[in-house]
Amino acid sequence: MSVGQFSWRRTWAVSRRQFAVLRRSLPKWFDLSVWPLLDVVLWGALGAYVATNDAGSRAGTPYLLAGIVLFHVLFQAHIAVATGFMEETWTRNLLNVMATPLREAEYALGLAIYGFAKLAMGMVTVTLSAWVVYRFDTSSLGWVLVPIVLILMLTGWALAQASIGLLLRYGPSAEILTYGLIFVTMAVSGVFNPVDALPGALQPFARLLPTMYAFRALRTVQAGGATPWDDVAVGLVGAVVAAALSLVYVVHMLRVFRDRGFVTRFS
Amino acid sequence: MGDLLVARGLRKRFKQVTAVDGVDLTVGVGERVGLLGANGAGKTTTLLMLLGAITPDEGTVVIAGHHLPGARSRAMEEIGFAAGYLPMPDRLRVREALRFFAGLYAIDGRAAEEAIAMGLERFRIAHLAERLCDELSSGQRTLVGLVKALLHRPKLLVLDEPTASLDPDVALRVRQGLEETCREDGTALLVTSHNMVEVERLCERVVFMAKGRVVADDTPEAVAAAYGHATLEGVFLELAADPRAEEGVA
Repeated sequence: MSVGQFSWRRTWAVSRRQFAVLRRSLPKWFDLSVWPLLDVVLWGALGAYVATNDAGSRAGTPYLLAGIVLFHVLFQAHIAVATGFMEETWTRNLLNVMATPLREAEYALGLAIYGFAKLAMGMVTVTLSAWVVYRFDTSSLGWVLVPIVLILMLTGWALAQASIGLLLRYGPSAEILTYGLIFVTMAVSGVFNPVDALPGALQPFARLLPTMYAFRALRTVQAGGATPWDDVAVGLVGAVVAAALSLVYVVHMLRVFRDRGFVTRFS
Repeated sequence: MGDLLVARGLRKRFKQVTAVDGVDLTVGVGERVGLLGANGAGKTTTLLMLLGAITPDEGTVVIAGHHLPGARSRAMEEIGFAAGYLPMPDRLRVREALRFFAGLYAIDGRAAEEAIAMGLERFRIAHLAERLCDELSSGQRTLVGLVKALLHRPKLLVLDEPTASLDPDVALRVRQGLEETCREDGTALLVTSHNMVEVERLCERVVFMAKGRVVADDTPEAVAAAYGHATLEGVFLELAADPRAEEGVA
């Protein structure tokens, strides 16, 4: 038995519990299969229609598909970790878990390992769907995908930490925000469009989001331009800052959670 | 008898309500203690502070020499916790759920399987091992919760209302399993309950709380005698009804 040190066994127990739930959870399989497929079909069809009417449009199938495929990095990274934590609140298991030697860092890492695996599964579905349905090869975007995926993954985890912090602070009623956060981010990040196309009041917010720089870099490369390393760098720094801030937020919310006895909301 | 758990001056306020007001509590090695009181007396808040799930406004908690909150992880290695009102995780089979908790106690592989088998056997629920947790009755859930709490052979078992809303036969099985555990493993017990008969049978010391304070702390017989009753039931009813209860007699 561990004597108070960081324990990989505890970390692995957290991951393994999530995988066991995944096997039997239809909604989680929907996250991995149905939603990615529907998104590909919907945005691919929209792109095909636009291209039919305006062959010169930049809103053709490849642009929209690249946007939705990479949005799924953000979505899957966020939803796997956030709903992984919610699995404890939905099943009123939080107090059971808190009354064990499990450390916060072990729990977070266990959830992140599971989240990474689920993200990989979701990405297989979405990239494969894009190729099978529209012959869109995501890898054709080249090596710039690596930093872009990293930005989106880190931002997705930051959003998940923020969601967990909100749940700790405001209880089960904050669950709706978990889903809301990701779609607000989608709308403001310019997944399919330049930020200039957003309403003026939203543009300053968009420029604060690391995801905006990731999608802008993506579009630049798709348009045949050189990799915009400045956008990539700003996005990466922003994602690291967002992840660090979200960690500070969730640690603070955990302190508030313990100070105010909010555990009774989940038991 | 050395003290396994020492809580001193625990105090907790939630907005304008003082839930726990200067509670001192000790549990010795192998000792069986009942924490009693009416609804709202502060029992659960006290237990949650002992588990590190709620931070006290004032006071200290030391478990097997480990101070909370700094050494919470080490302290929790010495404690097993179960509550009658807490289900086990849905969508997991009983064996999977128990493996999960064994993992959280850093028990893995063969040792975990042995601990699970022994626990299921002790509470006579081996036949439930492959059932999904959300298919269990409340009594079965309580029994599985106890197996979970005992997987790592803790020095102290903390139970919150373990037999609440159970049929008498299941409650008896719970009590027998607990008695066997305490006798054979020397496990100390801190249990809250509204079943005074059960507490009298199970515990050698009772601590009564009222309005966030400890108002009596002695053997069941001594507490009953101090209040002029033959049993704890009478003490409970008197304290639940008496507005002066917080002034105490102990």
